[in-house]
Amino acid sequence: MAASIAALFGFNSKLPKITKRDKAILDMKHQRDNLRQYQKRIQWILDQETQLAKEALRKGEKEKARRALRRKKYQESLLQQTDGQLEQLEQLVANIEFSLIEVSVMHGLKQGNEVLAQIHKEMSIESVEQLMSETREAIEYQREIDEMLSSKMTADEEDEVLKELEAIQQELAPTVALPDVPTTVPVKVGTPVKEPTPLADEEDRVAVPA
Amino acid sequence: MGSRKLQTHIAPSGYKLPSIHAFPPFFCFQPAAKTRVSQDDQWVQLILSYARFRRLFTLTVDDAEKTGSDWEEVLINERINRRLTKQQVRTLLQMLVARGQATYEPPRQDDSVLLYWRKPGEWAEVLHSWAVSTGQLNTIMTFYEIQAPSLPSELSDIPTPLLKRAIDILTKTNRAQIIESGEGDGVRFFAGS
Repeated sequence: MAASIAALFGFNSKLPKITKRDKAILDMKHQRDNLRQYQKRIQWILDQETQLAKEALRKGEKEKARRALRRKKYQESLLQQTDGQLEQLEQLVANIEFSLIEVSVMHGLKQGNEVLAQIHKEMSIESVEQLMSETREAIEYQREIDEMLSSKMTADEEDEVLKELEAIQQELAPTVALPDVPTTVPVKVGTPVKEPTPLADEEDRVAVPA
Repeated sequence: MGSRKLQTHIAPSGYKLPSIHAFPPFFCFQPAAKTRVSQDDQWVQLILSYARFRRLFTLTVDDAEKTGSDWEEVLINERINRRLTKQQVRTLLQMLVARGQATYEPPRQDDSVLLYWRKPGEWAEVLHSWAVSTGQLNTIMTFYEIQAPSLPSELSDIPTPLLKRAIDILTKTNRAQIIESGEGDGVRFFAGS
């Protein structure tokens, strides 16, 4: 609720504050844009003067053409000057933006360092040693419990445990797969027999008439 | 009458005019209400689609009855000797505004409109994804940088009122921030949530 009211009035804690530095950067970019627009205008004038000179020559007004070209030359020199200025301004803007990135990288590194230091603090050698010894104690304790449990059992009980273990092992062991009983009479090796003779009882069944 | 077949026509700009544009009554508002509604729909559609094709942002009453204007191909059809009058264009502007497809710019007059072949909300999304894809987040930018980039972009030549409207929409979702300064306004974009 509070957030929506804040949004209504345009307050916002999430967005960065607009600083004087931001405004200075914006102004510089505006200057750069102004120069670019100025260059566009000069370019347009140059094109016009060229056009003018061409037309004057076509009409045979050589002096007029020459004047137009002279003006063009002058504008060209202005264009060159602004080129230099524009380059300087663009470099300045680029340097400032790069420095801002550097500042934020530095800030990030600093924060990372602090986090690392804090983690190290939590992992002091004493606390690690203490942890290790606590672990050792715990293992020792477990062993003691095991010992106590086994020593309290009688020999009979121990036997029963072993029997049960065996039973479970048997249950879990895979059943042995035995081959099926053969349905044909074994054939003597070496005697050529066309077909194995069927077993006797089967023959009997066929012979008895209904 | 009726023997001439209506056909689409490729205008010099490369835009394909619909066949209805070669239908003489199309240039005369129809008295029957039902017919008129459908005619209005066709004109609105034609204007917006042509504006999008040529990236035209404004339509003014002055564009009518004038050769050499950006709108000549649509408002005049010499092949059938028809043209829209200024009064008709004014009516068209009213219709566009009433349907939310345009807005009077500047406000408080009815001679000229800013066309919404993309609604301001859509422009806001185009603007934001452009800022993201060109790595312009968290940087201060001038409007001129967006409107006149060295290489043409989807936002080249977008009129300032429309750009401002799109930025306003982004500020409501914390994706942009207007920076005011003596030299003129600027903007800073954020990734947003």
